[in-house]
Amino acid sequence: MAKKETYTEAMKRLESIVARIESNELDIDELADQLKEAQRLIRYCRDRLYKADGEIRKMLADGKDEEKKSDSIG
Amino acid sequence: MMENYSDTRPALSLVELNLLVKRGLKACLPDTYWVQAELSEVHAHYSGHCYLELVQKDKRSNALVAKARGVIWHTTFCRLRPYFERETGQAFVAGIQVLVRVAVDFHELYGYSLNVVDIDPTYTVGDLARRRKEILRHLEAEGILTLNKELELPVLTQRIAVVSSATAAGYGDFCHQLANNPFGLVFYPRLFPAVMQGDRVEASVIQALERIYAEADRFDVVVIIRGGGATSDLSGFDTYELAAHCAQFPLPIITGIGHERDDTVIDLVAHTRVKTPTAAAELLVNHLYGTAQRLADLTDHLYQVVPDRLQRERERLDGWLARIPGRVQLRLQREQFRQERMVQRMEQAWRTRCLREEHRLALQPRLEAALQARLQREAHRLELLAQQTEAASPDRLLQKGYSITLKDGKAVTDPAVLQPGDVVTTRVAHGTFKSKII
Repeated sequence: MAKKETYTEAMKRLESIVARIESNELDIDELADQLKEAQRLIRYCRDRLYKADGEIRKMLADGKDEEKKSDSIG
Repeated sequence: MMENYSDTRPALSLVELNLLVKRGLKACLPDTYWVQAELSEVHAHYSGHCYLELVQKDKRSNALVAKARGVIWHTTFCRLRPYFERETGQAFVAGIQVLVRVAVDFHELYGYSLNVVDIDPTYTVGDLARRRKEILRHLEAEGILTLNKELELPVLTQRIAVVSSATAAGYGDFCHQLANNPFGLVFYPRLFPAVMQGDRVEASVIQALERIYAEADRFDVVVIIRGGGATSDLSGFDTYELAAHCAQFPLPIITGIGHERDDTVIDLVAHTRVKTPTAAAELLVNHLYGTAQRLADLTDHLYQVVPDRLQRERERLDGWLARIPGRVQLRLQREQFRQERMVQRMEQAWRTRCLREEHRLALQPRLEAALQARLQREAHRLELLAQQTEAASPDRLLQKGYSITLKDGKAVTDPAVLQPGDVVTTRVAHGTFKSKII
């Protein structure tokens, strides 16, 4: 659940950065920093969508083992 | 007390009596008759014949009010059963209401029974529909009918709890479809095995849902699927208990239980209903692709607004340059030209970078930082230049003790233009004075 919110949160932050650049709100000095942040967020979101997350796989595999155990007991 | 009637009174043997009954029935009920009844027992015998028990219950008390044995002979049964199951999506099992055409039979040894010669599936379909409606009314009255539909499908639908039979082709198709999606999106399906056919469906699927519920925070969505077989037995999916579980489940449920006929009750309460496991996988892939597309659009947009922002900065610099005194315009124009080229180079570099980004996901912010530094350096140079030009202005020279001599309003730069007796004006820092040439 927490991770899901983080993705949504990352998208929201990204949207807000783009909107600020667009609206001239950002000082040129801040531009580089904000770009850096935007690119970090993009990378994070893309990783979530396209890169297999070992942690999630492991977590689900753990569950499977438990299930097998309980199945064999049952 | 014992008397022997055999000699004195005519008596029938039991066989004779039963044969009389048989003849009597045949004479009275020579046709076949359509009969509504509930199947209380169904035994498909290895010989191919099917033995039944038909009952009628009192509508209020549910007590039996009539009962009859029945039989469907092999040749009829092997035709009727697939027809019935195909038309109704319901196995020919005990517990369902049927409309059958029967011939009334009486056998001297086995007694009264009904020989089923035909069946009308539409009656059963109607009955099942009535039952489904009844369940739906019940769920609605409890206020839970649309709970699952009201859940929002999360933006990431990757962690998928799958309720299915491990051996069914449907589950394999589903996983294959997810793993080979054309966009390279990642999914994490995990199977919660359940019986998907026969009378154990309800209990088994509920059990699987309870196991998922115990770790619901690990999943984004639940999928209930099964491979479509030639014959369908969906009655297990038309029960109140299962529907109530699905409706109240905290994660959105997608059903793909492979059938063509009307929706089962769990199809109706599920968040989304599709026909097949493959279609369920497609739905999830498309949903996640939508999420990925929003990210891609936003990324593209970012790469568009940054050059726009740089362009606005350039225009600002242009405006600033235009306010610098005319004397040094030429030099400044050269400087401006340099500036322009620099911004163009920056934009070019940015565009190149954007193109590169399409192929390479890892983004390096160094370029932007460098561009930023360049912009600041150039602005600083311009400022210095402005200071220099100010230093070169005539007023500053006069302050230092230099003077300008004017004849007829023009600066005298060559003494040869002067004649004795000419009056000239000399301008110094704090005023002017006149002199006569001797």
